Amino acid sequence: MNPAPDEGTYQLNNVSVTFAQTPVLSDVSFEIEAGEVLAIVGPSGAGKTTLLRLLNGMVGPSQGSVCHDRANLQSLSTSQLRRVRARIGFVHQSHNLIPNLRVVQNVVAGKLGQRGFLKSARSMIRPHSGDQAGVHALLERVGIPEKLFERTDKLSGGQTQRVALARALFQEPKVLLADEPVAAVDPARARDLIRLMVDLAREDNLTLVACMHDLSLAREFFPRMIGLRAGRVAFDTQTDEISEEVFDELYSLAAR
Amino acid sequence: MSAHSSIESADRTLAIRDLYRTRPRSRLVRASVVLFAFFALYAFLSPDVAWSDLFSARRRSNLSRFVDHDLIPYPLRDSGFSWSALTEWAGNLMRSHGLEAMAATFWISVLAIVIAGLASLLFAPLGAHTLANREPYGSSAKRSGHDAWRALVGTTRVAAVLLRAIPEYVWAFLLLAMLGPTAWPVIIALAIHNTGILTRLGSETIENLEVAPLESLAAVGASRRQLATLVALPLALPRFLLYFFYRFETCIREATVLGMLGVVSLGYWIADARGRQNYDEMVFLVALGAVLILLTDLVSYTVRRWIR
Repeated sequence: MNPAPDEGTYQLNNVSVTFAQTPVLSDVSFEIEAGEVLAIVGPSGAGKTTLLRLLNGMVGPSQGSVCHDRANLQSLSTSQLRRVRARIGFVHQSHNLIPNLRVVQNVVAGKLGQRGFLKSARSMIRPHSGDQAGVHALLERVGIPEKLFERTDKLSGGQTQRVALARALFQEPKVLLADEPVAAVDPARARDLIRLMVDLAREDNLTLVACMHDLSLAREFFPRMIGLRAGRVAFDTQTDEISEEVFDELYSLAAR
Repeated sequence: MSAHSSIESADRTLAIRDLYRTRPRSRLVRASVVLFAFFALYAFLSPDVAWSDLFSARRRSNLSRFVDHDLIPYPLRDSGFSWSALTEWAGNLMRSHGLEAMAATFWISVLAIVIAGLASLLFAPLGAHTLANREPYGSSAKRSGHDAWRALVGTTRVAAVLLRAIPEYVWAFLLLAMLGPTAWPVIIALAIHNTGILTRLGSETIENLEVAPLESLAAVGASRRQLATLVALPLALPRFLLYFFYRFETCIREATVLGMLGVVSLGYWIADARGRQNYDEMVFLVALGAVLILLTDLVSYTVRRWIR
């Protein structure tokens, strides 16, 4: 079930985030269209992860507003926010999964937010054949169908991230958020994984927002980039319009 | 290179001495070492403990009689060693009450630890700050500072402390007066004490779990109940089992000892044999207790390897 053509949008208006009197993001504004594929880049400590967590409501803005599909995330009740989150996939750097469960159980866990307690408990203990078929199909899309019943802690770093991706897709999401998804993956596999993620997002018409540490990968696969520097938007443009100097400036100023 | 060698070697020695003098040191560690050394010295020299008590001629002769005579199974004392006499003696002991006492000790422990295990599975999440808060593993702003949840965690922890602060022996002593000399006072005493311990250990285990898997599933909208039972439980299971079996082993030892209160576990017969001054029989029953512990250890090892 792919999202409707206009689902998966964001409007950020003058958003600031402050943790214990330290500003993390200041006056950030931009829009994301449905199905857009964009990377957030910038030096560490620039606020990339916080920006991503704003998009699924794990962090609330101190000022300004974050609207997702025309609803202000701040104004939602806990149960409404839970329903919104259930359709937002999130892939972390690492440790997304429960290591001592099988791959199928980890993927099925993607639907925890969409199922009642008993149904989800049953599907985690012994996934029924419908779930198994769905998970197998997704594992095929991420390239490791043979791992369906493998124990998750037996997988390599790259395979683990593929399972994390499959879990996110099992949510039937409108939006896919990824926080440096290949930071803990062998560089030779990183490129394949990013390509896979972008391709899957395009096939399913998902909005994809990824924090990217590796600039060359970001430039190769993401048509739009937002550069963050010390909590502010340094640039927000089409990737092919960005010059080398812009990148140099983004990172050199942070080092000062 | 040349810039660094500009420090004269004498200056360097001084600089190093200075750094050494101002190195970070823990006063607490030094103070406790000194204090402890003082206590140890005092204990050795204090008049309350007389070393001669341990080595007096009478003690030595008692000890040698105990080892050379009392400990040896009585059919072997006069006739010398013979397998058939030994096995017949051991077989008779097993049949008359050894086996029964071993089984009683075992089943008392199993019941007690199962009750404690189930109860602590229920209570442990309530004592973990990470799950018992307004939005477990959710947005950072809402995680703490809510009084009702804090009160719940505090109450659970205090209750757990109270349950385990009272020794099993005292619980059993009190319960015997109420329930009479059946196995139940011992079972309940062990269950109460171990519920306190396992709840505390369980809460700590949950609080120390790797956050990322829990956070990432909270991010997709998993509820508190789902997080506790479907995510935290499998994550914590290996450690829970470790504690469970460790306490099971303790239960077996305690069930043995508590028999001395009058419940027919191994301890009852150990006390009985000592009363009749049949030390050979007493040691045999003590050995049965050790065998039981070894068997438990084997089971625990196998189960944990299988489940891990």
